[in-house]
Amino acid sequence: MNAPFYKFDLFGFDVSLIIAFVIGIGFGFALERGGFGSARILAAQFYFTNMRVLKVMFTAIVTAMLGVFYLSFIGYLDLSLVYISDTYIIPQVVGGLILGMGFIIGGYCPGTSFVAFSTGKKDAVFFILGVTFGVFIFAELYPFIEVFYYSTNMGRVTLPDFFGLSYGMVVFLVVLMALGAFAAAEWGERVMAKKGESK
Amino acid sequence: MKNYIMNLSGSKKLAMVGLVLGLVAVLLGNPYDNTYAKVNVKALSVESIRDSEIINVKELTEWIIEGKVDYSLVDLRDEEAYKEYFIPTAVNIPTSKLLESNLMRNLKILLYCENNIKAAQAWFVLKSKDYKSVYILNDGIDAWKDEILFPKISENASANEKLEFDKMVEVSKFFGGSPQVGETGSKKEITMPKIEIPAAVPMNTGGGKPKREGC
Repeated sequence: MNAPFYKFDLFGFDVSLIIAFVIGIGFGFALERGGFGSARILAAQFYFTNMRVLKVMFTAIVTAMLGVFYLSFIGYLDLSLVYISDTYIIPQVVGGLILGMGFIIGGYCPGTSFVAFSTGKKDAVFFILGVTFGVFIFAELYPFIEVFYYSTNMGRVTLPDFFGLSYGMVVFLVVLMALGAFAAAEWGERVMAKKGESK
Repeated sequence: MKNYIMNLSGSKKLAMVGLVLGLVAVLLGNPYDNTYAKVNVKALSVESIRDSEIINVKELTEWIIEGKVDYSLVDLRDEEAYKEYFIPTAVNIPTSKLLESNLMRNLKILLYCENNIKAAQAWFVLKSKDYKSVYILNDGIDAWKDEILFPKISENASANEKLEFDKMVEVSKFFGGSPQVGETGSKKEITMPKIEIPAAVPMNTGGGKPKREGC
């Protein structure tokens, strides 16, 4: 048995949608349990008063990275078949900034807004309406920004390609970066907590 | 040392595990390595004698005319030969580049070359990389030329043969061929139909709807 299952034809397109649904539910559940259903916790990340988002995200990244790396190393996963989208560097930076602004203003990102909605948060409903409206605006503007949207295409770029390092080295450096970030986050939270007390 | 590790909090233990796995990863290097494959020799040898994986050109014409999209037709010859002429809808992937080609595993893959031996070599390459449904176009491009583009019939053919030939004439014309009636003893110059190379040949699709992935 080999992964990715879909590309090795273990199931067809229809079944893949059902599996995607199940994984989606699991993903939402993990987000909710991670505390990502609360706009307060999410927004606090941007003010560095609560580093939970950074910790959860980096944990997820490192876990997935190590899992994928070792699974492909023992031959269970064919990494060359895992889809990596192209890099359009400038449009993606601009898009990231717009998403980030929306994240701070609204207190959710698209995924977490649905998580929050499923737990009955009213602000999430308005956030989702905003997301839908934004999608509508984007679709209407698309003909005018299409050229920009597809500009500065760098193709399929990975960190090892970009830095000219081996994959194993990048894995190690990302682990180090995550551990460093965890330590810094814990320290930062203690400092912020003290500041909070002295006020 | 043991006590020190036991006394660490759970998250710190996990962090240690991560660090160790990261360190080992440095030694392991590149998981993208596509060069080696584990092959079930028994299964391969059993499969290699099945005739069901050989498709003849007439079947292929039906696939193309019906507009089937559940297969990729792969031309294994070099670029020169491909540019000169290729069977409509084929993409050009020389055998040496097969592994980098991103052929979809959930599509049938139909291989052709000048002859069956070369196609069979590519068949083994793909089979050993776990491609499930790989087929060979019987006698490759030559069969396509002889049977589809320039089908022949002798003047004293039986009525049944003539009926069959009339059908082939229609198919042949569809693909721009010119059927030959009678003994063409003096092999007059037969011109290959011109075929436009599609502007951008998608390497990874054999038609069908493109699937967007990512979040």
